[in-house]
Amino acid sequence: MIEAQGLTKKYGAKTAVDGISFTVQPGKVTGFLGPNGAGKSTTMRMIVGLDRPTAGTVTVNGRPYAQHRSPLTEVGALLEAKAVHTGRSAKNHLRALAATHGIGDKRVNEVIDMTGLHDVSKRRVGGFSLGMGQRLGIAVALLGDPRTLILDEPVNGLDPEGVLWVRNLVKYLASEGRTVFLSSHLMSEMALTADHLVVIGRGKIITDGPVDQVVSQATRTTVKVRSPQAAQLAELLAAPDVTIASEEPGLLEVHGATAEAVGEVAAAGRIVLHELTPVRGSLEDAYMSLTQDAVEYHSAAVPDTHAAATTSEENAR
Amino acid sequence: MSTTTVAPTRAEVSRPTTAHKLSFGHLLKSEWIKFWSVRSTTWTLAITAIALVGFTLLLTLAMVNAPDDAGAPTNPLDAFGLNVYLGPLAVAVLGALSITGEYTTGMIRSSLTAEPRRTPVLWAKALVLFVVVFVVAAASIAVAALLQAAIFGGDGMTVDINDAQTLRALTGYALYIAMIGLLSFALGALMRHSAAAIATVLGALLILPIMFSAIPWEPLHKIMPFLPNVAGAQITQTNDQIAAMAAAQPDVITLSAWEGFGVLAGYVVILLAAAAVLLKRRDA
Repeated sequence: MIEAQGLTKKYGAKTAVDGISFTVQPGKVTGFLGPNGAGKSTTMRMIVGLDRPTAGTVTVNGRPYAQHRSPLTEVGALLEAKAVHTGRSAKNHLRALAATHGIGDKRVNEVIDMTGLHDVSKRRVGGFSLGMGQRLGIAVALLGDPRTLILDEPVNGLDPEGVLWVRNLVKYLASEGRTVFLSSHLMSEMALTADHLVVIGRGKIITDGPVDQVVSQATRTTVKVRSPQAAQLAELLAAPDVTIASEEPGLLEVHGATAEAVGEVAAAGRIVLHELTPVRGSLEDAYMSLTQDAVEYHSAAVPDTHAAATTSEENAR
Repeated sequence: MSTTTVAPTRAEVSRPTTAHKLSFGHLLKSEWIKFWSVRSTTWTLAITAIALVGFTLLLTLAMVNAPDDAGAPTNPLDAFGLNVYLGPLAVAVLGALSITGEYTTGMIRSSLTAEPRRTPVLWAKALVLFVVVFVVAAASIAVAALLQAAIFGGDGMTVDINDAQTLRALTGYALYIAMIGLLSFALGALMRHSAAAIATVLGALLILPIMFSAIPWEPLHKIMPFLPNVAGAQITQTNDQIAAMAAAQPDVITLSAWEGFGVLAGYVVILLAAAAVLLKRRDA
């Protein structure tokens, strides 16, 4: 389990991470989602003690990372694919890190086989492709058979087979009761892999919740209505938080109202409908709207109110 | 901020209690593997060994062939003298690279994730470097002495290793070279940049002594014996040689063998301490 409390990191005048608090639970895959520069990597580096927080604390399995006597068996971290001496072979890199904890060559060979590095393990890392470097980073993370895994953009540079492998691997590790925290800037990847999402933008947590909930909150549903009495329907639907667009006569695109609500209004007004279709926004749209909000609400410093307001609106309907 | 609460029941991983733990011994093993698994190690150590043996024999040859009336030195120990300047050069590169190589490649982040208390990594690295360089330099000096005796023994060029002073002076070369390696390592740990560290240490070793003796300004001449390599090199001289040195330059301080080596070690200790403090403080 990872617990962050008011975690803050400033580099000079720039605030990279701005007082974030979150908990990563064991037994599920928690996605850490945000655009580039949102503070994901900085947060992960603070978790494993590479960067010192300007304020706040973060603990792993109950204590700060540096206080564990056996950090590699507590936490496996993939932070940057190439945190590796380019002149050393993959196998020697793994052997050297394993040696710090007295982990033997047997485990080194195991993780080499698990990550598919067998054929290149004796080659110098400098010649590795991005994907091979990523696999080596994952091999390092798995070395100590850790209770908690922190993976920063693990699928970067991997081929489709590799992406699928990482997806299945993290799900399997979580199913064993481990804590898995992985970052990505790809909402679609997160939706397939994660059970829980922590969304970060501009150093602040935008939303934190189960994937389905986050996605549905953020996804804007549009209702497409075709009616010979479109203008009359538009008048009846008019409300402060409902916007209606019309691209052609007889066709309305309604934002801010559910298909059920539109249908009921039409029935009450005795309006004939030819079509009533809810159009669910894409994940990428949801992501864009989430992170846009981070920018909009940045100066207001109340990132949670939007999510809460959206929920209450939806509940009210 | 949205903080989720702890679920009342959660499946913890049931793991066998393992013996996998951090320890200084384990760190030494790790640094040992790291040390020998990059090519620069073999290269710089090979160059050091060849230089130590080669220059000793070359100088012996020159001494043997010098005309008798030229007042050339006849002490076979003097044939080792060039090693003070040429012996530590490759070692200085090795010392700096062994730490800056981790910074330039990002490896340091892996190392510090494995040992988040950080400073033990520095000590383990320093120890491996010092011991290996000492052993390689001592073995090279021994080979040089053996070859000197084998080739030029007939000309009276045989060092007497049964003489305590001679043995200390010869061992002193290995100590001196290993300590220069540590000096370079400490500078590398402070600067975290290969080229900057190597340039600084080579400047300190080669250029400073020349500057200090060439510039005709009295205070510089007084400070000169305390320059890192000038002081450190005293350990490579027998007490008789040091006495002769003192007689030749009565107006400046002449450090004894261990005083001089202590001064060099002092520089190293201060720089390593500063490196350790910064290693703890700086973001990696």
